[in-house]
Amino acid sequence: MSVWLSAVVYGLSTSAILFLVSIALSVGYGLMRIVNLEAMLYYSLGAYLTYTLVSATGSMWLGAFSGVLVGAALGFLVETQLLRRVYGKNMLFSMVTTFSVYLIGIGLIQYVWGLNPKPVASPTDTMLRFLGVAIPLYRVIIIGIAGITYIGFQLFLNRTIVGKAIRAGIENRDHVQALGINIYRIFTLTFVLASGLAGLGGALNAPLIMVGPYMGNDMLLYAFTTVILGGLGSLKGTFVSALILGQVISIGGTIWSPLSFVGPFFVMFTVLIFKPNGLFGVKGIAFGFDQ
Amino acid sequence: MARRTYEWILPFLFTGGLILARYLFPSKMTFITEVALYSLYVMGNNILFGYLGYVSFGQPVYLSMGAYSAAIYLAYLGRSPLTAILVALLVGILVGVLMGPVLIRLRGSYFTLVNAAFCAIGLFTVERLLIGITRGNDGLWFRTRMVATPLLDIRQPKNFFFFAMFVLLVVFLLYRRMDRSVLGAAFKATQGNERRMQFMGYDTFKIRWLGFVLATVLSTLSGSLYAINFGFVNPNLGENSRAAEVIVATLLGGSGTVYGPFFGAITFLGIKEIVSQWITRWELLVGVLTIIVLFKFNRGVWGTFMDLLKRSRKTVVLQKKTP
Repeated sequence: MSVWLSAVVYGLSTSAILFLVSIALSVGYGLMRIVNLEAMLYYSLGAYLTYTLVSATGSMWLGAFSGVLVGAALGFLVETQLLRRVYGKNMLFSMVTTFSVYLIGIGLIQYVWGLNPKPVASPTDTMLRFLGVAIPLYRVIIIGIAGITYIGFQLFLNRTIVGKAIRAGIENRDHVQALGINIYRIFTLTFVLASGLAGLGGALNAPLIMVGPYMGNDMLLYAFTTVILGGLGSLKGTFVSALILGQVISIGGTIWSPLSFVGPFFVMFTVLIFKPNGLFGVKGIAFGFDQ
Repeated sequence: MARRTYEWILPFLFTGGLILARYLFPSKMTFITEVALYSLYVMGNNILFGYLGYVSFGQPVYLSMGAYSAAIYLAYLGRSPLTAILVALLVGILVGVLMGPVLIRLRGSYFTLVNAAFCAIGLFTVERLLIGITRGNDGLWFRTRMVATPLLDIRQPKNFFFFAMFVLLVVFLLYRRMDRSVLGAAFKATQGNERRMQFMGYDTFKIRWLGFVLATVLSTLSGSLYAINFGFVNPNLGENSRAAEVIVATLLGGSGTVYGPFFGAITFLGIKEIVSQWITRWELLVGVLTIIVLFKFNRGVWGTFMDLLKRSRKTVVLQKKTP
């Protein structure tokens, strides 16, 4: 019993990271019609900055903060300088472009930090006791942060005028423009927000894993599995599928360790066969299928 | 009309050029062999990318599949390299036929990412799941188990070179045939406007399926040749992070053309060869290169060459007309 309970908590913290990183992909898909592969770069950079700042100052939160800032700043640069050129073009353009940006980032990371994986100390070693099971406080904090982010993002999308414009943009881009809203400014804003969150995800994940130059590759697959499973452009779908996949990874891994790696893909394949638009996907948004 | 007279000679010219280069630069033989093998791999990706308009981030898995099916055959079952290549081709056909309907149903980014997931699963399979058979990261060695092949003993690198050239020539001719046939046109038409193709009575699903099978077979062929050339395989070949390389090579050469992949392979491997003297990991370079090619040079080496040729021919015609 205690094994399962701790597996559920670990799964929830995995879900939290997955959710934070996947928002960038989900929003990029839904709003800008681009495949935002270089979110993984911000994820890796967030983790590396955390590593450097934890080694230098000992403060994990400073690292997380700088991860968010650098992610957002880079996101702004990439969006305004590069991605503006690929909007409206064939999908392969955005995919190949963002993947190249990711590769360039990986190359730079290797120059700065080297190839060896780096361990990051957890900011707190406190264990909470819950129903006789020891649960690390840090994981609970991560779950809390992701929860707050979800609520905050939902409120932003539903209660503010900018958020409503973003949602309208996901539904129909042209109509929003016809209303006199500069959609490109909204793109930039959303992109910067999502990139910052990807950086935050990387920073928070750093103490849980080894920080290595290729950490983005695995995350890329999981994040995309999350987004596709949840349905493109749906924040709620991303949230729900992150919850599901976190548990698949954690509980599946407890049952049989290879399942933690392949489990998510099998879930995705199975769902795609029955619901090609994902769990909460809206038809027409899931481009790639006939609109 | 003038085009027809010289066009058929190009495959022979290019293969001959490689053979000539081998004698001009004897120390570069391994590199030239790799160009031939890589060309096959890029040609496979070109069918998906250039003809059908599919981006796949999972091509390494098909390369690795071919390499491992040849390697496993040679290490456990048989001894003849030629049969091993046949086995790899069969595996390629089988995988293409079986996986095709699942993968080809997905469009755009779904195809790309499901392929990437497939590649991750493949890497995981050879690295951990089947570690008893594939020996995981140690690699599977079988060089000593291979027996001599009739006519040409391809166990020796200098003979393998000629074998690779022969395979390249044959594939070139078939590829050219495909491009000139209804099939090649159907691929491109499907990419351009699938509805119209359906209206004209073509089963576009089958066309895409066939394209996928061809791409897979070319990748596994290339993989099996890689395996036989090295005498061993390791999971490195099917690494996820290398998925971008083949796309870059396709773009570099000029996608959707017959000879583009060949020039893409030469250019990409050439740059890699030069740069790897200074840096061992070339992700940075691959990234920069792709962005430049994509935005400024998207017709590729061969495409640009053809454009120049066309332009010069036009000026010639104009000069003739004006007295």
